[in-house]
Amino acid sequence: MTEQTLSGWRSRPGRAATAWRSDAFGRLAPAATVLLGFYACNWISIAPNRLLPGQGVPALAALGPMVHVGAAGLVLALALGTITSERGPLMRLAPITLLIILASMLVVLTGVAATPLLVGRPPAARVMVAAGGWLSLAGLLATIAGEARRTGIHAAAPVALGLVVLIAAAAAYSGWLDALSLAREIRARADLLGAAMRGHIALSAGALGLGLAAALPLGWAAFRSPRVEALTSVLLQGVQVVPAMALLAALVPALSFILAAFPALRGVGLAAIGPAPALIGVAAYLALPLVSSLVAGLRLADAAVIEAARAMGMTEARLTREVRIPLGMPLLVAGLRVGAVQSIGLTTLGGLVGAGGLGAIVFEGMAQFAPDLILLGAAPIVLLALAVDSGLRTLGRRLRGPQSEP
Amino acid sequence: MGAAATGLVFAGLAEFHVATRLWSAAGWGVKVALPDDRLLALGAEHLALSMGSLAAAALAAVSLGVLVTRPWAGRDLRGAIDTLGTISQAVPPVVVVAVTLPVFGFGPGPTMIALFAYGLLPILRGTVAAIESVPSEARDAAEALGFTSAQTLWRVELPLAAPLIAASLRIALVLVIATASVGALAGAATLGTPIVAGLQNQNEIELLQGAAATAALAFLADGAALALLGLLERPSPA
Repeated sequence: MTEQTLSGWRSRPGRAATAWRSDAFGRLAPAATVLLGFYACNWISIAPNRLLPGQGVPALAALGPMVHVGAAGLVLALALGTITSERGPLMRLAPITLLIILASMLVVLTGVAATPLLVGRPPAARVMVAAGGWLSLAGLLATIAGEARRTGIHAAAPVALGLVVLIAAAAAYSGWLDALSLAREIRARADLLGAAMRGHIALSAGALGLGLAAALPLGWAAFRSPRVEALTSVLLQGVQVVPAMALLAALVPALSFILAAFPALRGVGLAAIGPAPALIGVAAYLALPLVSSLVAGLRLADAAVIEAARAMGMTEARLTREVRIPLGMPLLVAGLRVGAVQSIGLTTLGGLVGAGGLGAIVFEGMAQFAPDLILLGAAPIVLLALAVDSGLRTLGRRLRGPQSEP
Repeated sequence: MGAAATGLVFAGLAEFHVATRLWSAAGWGVKVALPDDRLLALGAEHLALSMGSLAAAALAAVSLGVLVTRPWAGRDLRGAIDTLGTISQAVPPVVVVAVTLPVFGFGPGPTMIALFAYGLLPILRGTVAAIESVPSEARDAAEALGFTSAQTLWRVELPLAAPLIAASLRIALVLVIATASVGALAGAATLGTPIVAGLQNQNEIELLQGAAATAALAFLADGAALALLGLLERPSPA
């Protein structure tokens, strides 16, 4: 939906002369966020242990004059972006390369700067990345995404952001970030994190599969009969009104009553606590976007095209396979994208009903009030969702074909 | 009407005596249900928290929506909002609550941020679509009459876009109320509080009461919003 509504803007030719003002606003807002983190907030904080609040250190004190170099580099990259926007692809990619180098440098510098701060402190002391560090990082990533979009090269934004994540991961792996609290948290729970990530992916993929298994027959029935469509839309919208947390939680007693009534189901591996309530609950939420995009996708084919195909003697089955599905593909993939992204997010709540996944780490962090543990669980969820979103977006674009590109 | 009736049914299910009777009638053992006055107090806090966050989100989203539909708004600003939409889909409310918890501490803070972020996008999308749907003839006529661009906005575009903006506010209202329960994980007093307590103490009746009461509140709010929209639409001359 987002894409359709937001890219369906009416273009107003002849206003290009004034457009630069707001273009400048859209580009300068993230850059200003970076500078805010550099000069107006605490970059890192030093705490006596992983749970107590720490004492803030601004970027200039923590990183030294390199902060000015970073700020100058950012301004240079933006200026370069303005100059090179009409040049060849290599020239257009130059400012993004500069920004990627800048982001990687900041990550490594922060790790290096943290080491001397720990000298002479008790072993439990922690150096945490504070508001300024996160603000600058977020602003820098937004700037990279924005500038990559300006190049007009579709793969530029995901590749550039993926590179930054890869470089940060490599820096963490090779020990540059060891002094940071988050890195310590990762090292202490490396096995757990890996297992949680695999569990999260398996759970959200399973829920998406279950949701699809329900949505395909429902969507087909709704496509054939308006009465079924009205009924399923009321029911599925009703599910959306029940809070996700409540639905998952309520499935625990519901499943245990069902299991008490039909003990044979235990033999199939069904249990009231664990993956079962998470899978069922998340799948119930996914049903609405999946069914509605399926119905809309099947309806997308023009009535005249359908008539022509019927006149040629096509059977209903062939009509669906060779006309409706190919023509509705963009909407079908868009529905799958919404479903997959929602599945990854909603699976977080599985941590509440014993299903594991990254949500379990988030909730453990909340219970301990340990910020870095919360981030350890939350960051992979967001990265996973963004990666799946951009992957399926690319797939959708491929299927739509190059001729319909704006 | 349907929404309000469904809401009343759910409210009835959540009520202390009804819930207790149903529970014992089903033969599921003895559990202590949440008393009505506590449920009502939590419901009031739930509603206040949701409405406060929704009002802030509506103010921000409508202003942003007006901003990006101005003729001088460039493509990059729209691109930025596209990016915002992708990110807000990828970061579910429970993650926002979790990540902002260390900053704001236990209480309503993290929940308000999460609800603000969650309500922002549907209203922004609705506002943009509503203003885009204003026929260009109306704008041209206003220009011909000598309206300034501010006058065109206030006296032509916004009145014509109002019904669609109001519809998106209604969708956001239901979303925000259904989502506010998650705040209980970060110590906000909402109808999610009995859900979390029920999960921790294995008190299923409390859990189901919280779930039914949240659904009741969402349906009742939807019914109220529908009634309000109907009232607003009637007196306006076509």
